[in-house]
Amino acid sequence: MTMSKPKADTQTVEPEGPDGGWGWVLVGALFVSIGLVFGLVRSMGIFFVEFIQYFGESAQAVSWITSTGVAALQFISPVAAALCNAYNARVVVITGGILAGVGLILATQATSLLHLYLSMGVISGLGWGLVITPMLASVIASFTRRRSLAVGLAFSSVGLSAFAFNPLFQMLVEMYAWRGALLIVGGLSFNIIACGAVICVQKTPQAPAKVMRRSTCAGMLQGISSYLELSLLCERPFLTYTLAITFTNVGFFVPYVHLVAHSRQVGFSEYQAAFIMSAGGVADILGRIVSGWFADLGNFRMIHLLAMWMSLAGVFIVLLPVSSMTGSYPGLMVVSLLYGFTSGALTSLVFSVMPKIVGLKRLAGGLGLLQLLESGGGLVGVPLSGWLRDKTGNYTASFVVAGSFFILGALTMATLPHFFSCTDPPPPQGQSKNPQSELGLMAQPAAITDTDDDKETQSKSIVGAATPELNGR
Amino acid sequence: MSAYWILLLLISYRDISATTFDATTPTMVSNITYTSAVMSVVLKGENQTENVQLLNRVRLELDCTWAANENKQPNITGYWTRDGDEIEDSRLTVPLQNEQYNLKRVFNIEHEEDLRKYSCVFGSQAQIQFILTVPGIDHVPDKPIVSYIGDYVALVCKIKDTAPKPDTWRWYKSNETDKVRTDVLAEPGRYEIKNEDLKTTLVVYNLTKEDSGVYHCGAVYPLKTSVGELTLNVLSFMEPLKILFAIVAEVIILVAAILLFEKWQSKKKPREENGMNPLPTDEMMQEESNSLGESSALRQRNV
Repeated sequence: MTMSKPKADTQTVEPEGPDGGWGWVLVGALFVSIGLVFGLVRSMGIFFVEFIQYFGESAQAVSWITSTGVAALQFISPVAAALCNAYNARVVVITGGILAGVGLILATQATSLLHLYLSMGVISGLGWGLVITPMLASVIASFTRRRSLAVGLAFSSVGLSAFAFNPLFQMLVEMYAWRGALLIVGGLSFNIIACGAVICVQKTPQAPAKVMRRSTCAGMLQGISSYLELSLLCERPFLTYTLAITFTNVGFFVPYVHLVAHSRQVGFSEYQAAFIMSAGGVADILGRIVSGWFADLGNFRMIHLLAMWMSLAGVFIVLLPVSSMTGSYPGLMVVSLLYGFTSGALTSLVFSVMPKIVGLKRLAGGLGLLQLLESGGGLVGVPLSGWLRDKTGNYTASFVVAGSFFILGALTMATLPHFFSCTDPPPPQGQSKNPQSELGLMAQPAAITDTDDDKETQSKSIVGAATPELNGR
Repeated sequence: MSAYWILLLLISYRDISATTFDATTPTMVSNITYTSAVMSVVLKGENQTENVQLLNRVRLELDCTWAANENKQPNITGYWTRDGDEIEDSRLTVPLQNEQYNLKRVFNIEHEEDLRKYSCVFGSQAQIQFILTVPGIDHVPDKPIVSYIGDYVALVCKIKDTAPKPDTWRWYKSNETDKVRTDVLAEPGRYEIKNEDLKTTLVVYNLTKEDSGVYHCGAVYPLKTSVGELTLNVLSFMEPLKILFAIVAEVIILVAAILLFEKWQSKKKPREENGMNPLPTDEMMQEESNSLGESSALRQRNV
C-alpha cells in the first residue's frame, strides 16, 4: 500500500502523490476547514448588523473586525509554514482550530468593539491562518494527477458554506442573540480540530538536524530562514509568479465589494442586485470545479490555463460597467456570471501551479510567502477602487482599473521562464545534488540553506495556501 | 391603488398660508382652534382608497368627484358612510354637472374616535374610501428580541422618515397577568430612554428573567398615540452553552475515532511490511521504518 521510497530519490521527474484513498478524505477535511474559515468570514455580515445596533458604532468601525481577522490570517501564513516544517502539520492545524474557536468564544463576552477586534479579529484570525496553509499544502502534496480537481472541489466550499451559513447564523441570532450565536459558531469552529486530525503525522527524523542548528546563533537563523523558505525570495520564477498573483489580487475583491452598490446606482432594485451576486457566486463554484477537472485532463499546461482565466476575468470585469451602461439587466447578469466562472476557475489553479514553480519540498514555505506577499495587493485594491469611485462619481473607473490589473497579472505570468514552451518543464527538486533541477522552471537550483538531505525535506509537511479571497469577502 | 397622502398639508388649504406642520394661523371657531383642510379626489374607475395622515384636530372637507359613465343620468343618489355604515342625513341627490357628479362633506376630526374610514358613495356603483390615521410605528420586529441575564438590551421604535415627528414618546410594559400597562419610567436607574425626532430607544440594564414580556412604545400625536409592540425574551447563558458542550463532545468523539483508526492502521502496516520483506536486515528494517515516516509526509496513505 505505501510505496517505500528509496533514500536518495533524485530520479523522479514529477513529485509523487498517491492520488486517491486517504487523499480524498483529506480533501473532505479541507472542504470543511475552508468552509469554517472563509465561509464563516463571508457570513459575518449577519453579526455586524447586530454589533452596530448593540454597540451603537458605525458600519465602518464594525467592518474592521473582519479586516483585522483576515490580516492576521494572511500575516501568520509564513509562520504557519515554518511551524509545519519545524514540527508537523497536524499539530499546527489543531492549534489553529483551537485558537479560532477560542477567539470566537471570548468574543461572546465582549463589552466593546475593542474586545471584538482582539478576540474575533486577532485570535481567531491567527487561528485561521494556522489552519488554511497546512491543510491546503497537505492536499496539494497528496495529489498529482487530480491535484487541481481536488483543490477546486475543496474551494467550492467557500461559496457553498457562505450560502448555508447565512440563513443558519440568522436563525441562531434570532434564537440566542449575538452572544449565544457566536458561542455556538465558535463551537462549530472546533470541528477544524477533527479536520486536522485527519492529516497523517510523520515521524520526523529532522530532530538531530535541529539540535545541530541550535548550537550556534547563526545556525538558528539559518534554520529559521530555511523553515520559512526565504531562499525562495531570491528566485526569479517565484517572484514573478507572486507578482502576477499580487496584481490579480488588487482587482480581485472589487466586484465582490462594489458590484451591489454599482447595480443599485445604475438603477436596479436591492433584490435584483443581490440576485446578481448570488448568481455570480454559483458561477464561481462551478468555475472552480470545472476548471480543476479540466486542468487535470492534461491537455494544456496549467500555466497557460491560469493565464487564460486571468485575462478573461480581467476582460469581464471591465465589461461589467459597460454592460450596465445600457441599463440592461440581462446584460449585467451575463457578464457577472462569466466573471464569477472565470474568477473561480483561476482560484482553482493558483495553488495547484505552485509545485511546478517551487517544487514539492518547498511548497509549504512557498505558499506561506505567496500568501503574505499577495495580501499587499488586496490591501491596496479595495481602498483604491473606493477612492476612484469617490473621485469619479461612479464605479466605471474602479472596474476598469481592477480588470487591467488582472490582465497585467496575466502578462507578468508570461514572463515566467519556459512560458511559451508546449510542455511543462520538469519541476525543481530544490536540491543542488539534483542534476535534473536545472531543467526545471528554476533558473538555478537553490541550495543556499537546504542543508537537510532528502529524508528531512520530504518529512516537512507541505503547508501554505493563500486564496485570493483572503480578505474575507 | 391611489396615491398615499402622507401629510395633510400637501393638500390645498382653504384659508391658511402657513406650511408648517402645526398650523400657526388657525381659523377660530367657537373657542376651539381648528385648522382646515380640503381633500379633493377624482375617482378613476369604480373604487378607490385614499390614506390620509392627520396630526392635529382638523376641520376636514372631503370632496369627491366622479366622471359619469355611459348612463349619464341627470340625477344620482349619493351618501356618506363611516366604517361602512351610512351616516344619517347624508343622503343627497347629486346633479350631473359638466359630465361629473360631486359630493362634499365636512368632518370635524377632534378625537381619536373620529379617525375612521369614511366613504362617499355614488348611487350603488362608485365609491371613494378615505382612511384617516396618524403616522404609524415603522417595522417593529415580530420576532422576540433576545438578551441575557445581566446584559442590557436596546428596544427601538421608529416612525417612517417621511412622517412628521410626534410630540413625545412613551414606553409601557404589560404584565403577563393583567393587561395593565405600567409606565416604564416608574423605575429609574434600570431604564434609560433616548428620544430622537423619529426614533425612540429604551435601554434596559441588568436584565433579569422578570424583564421578559411585551413592551409598548407610543408615539404621541395630538389626535392619537400610535403604539408598537415589542417582545423581549431574557435567557440564561446556559442555553447556548449547552449546545456548545454538545458540539465539543462531538468533536472529541470524532477526533478519538480518527486517532483510533490511525492506530489500527499503523498496527496493520508493520505486520504487512515485515511479511513481504524476504531478507530483513537491521539496516533495511531501519530504512523501512524511516521511509514509512517520510513517505507518509508527502503522500497520504492509500486506504
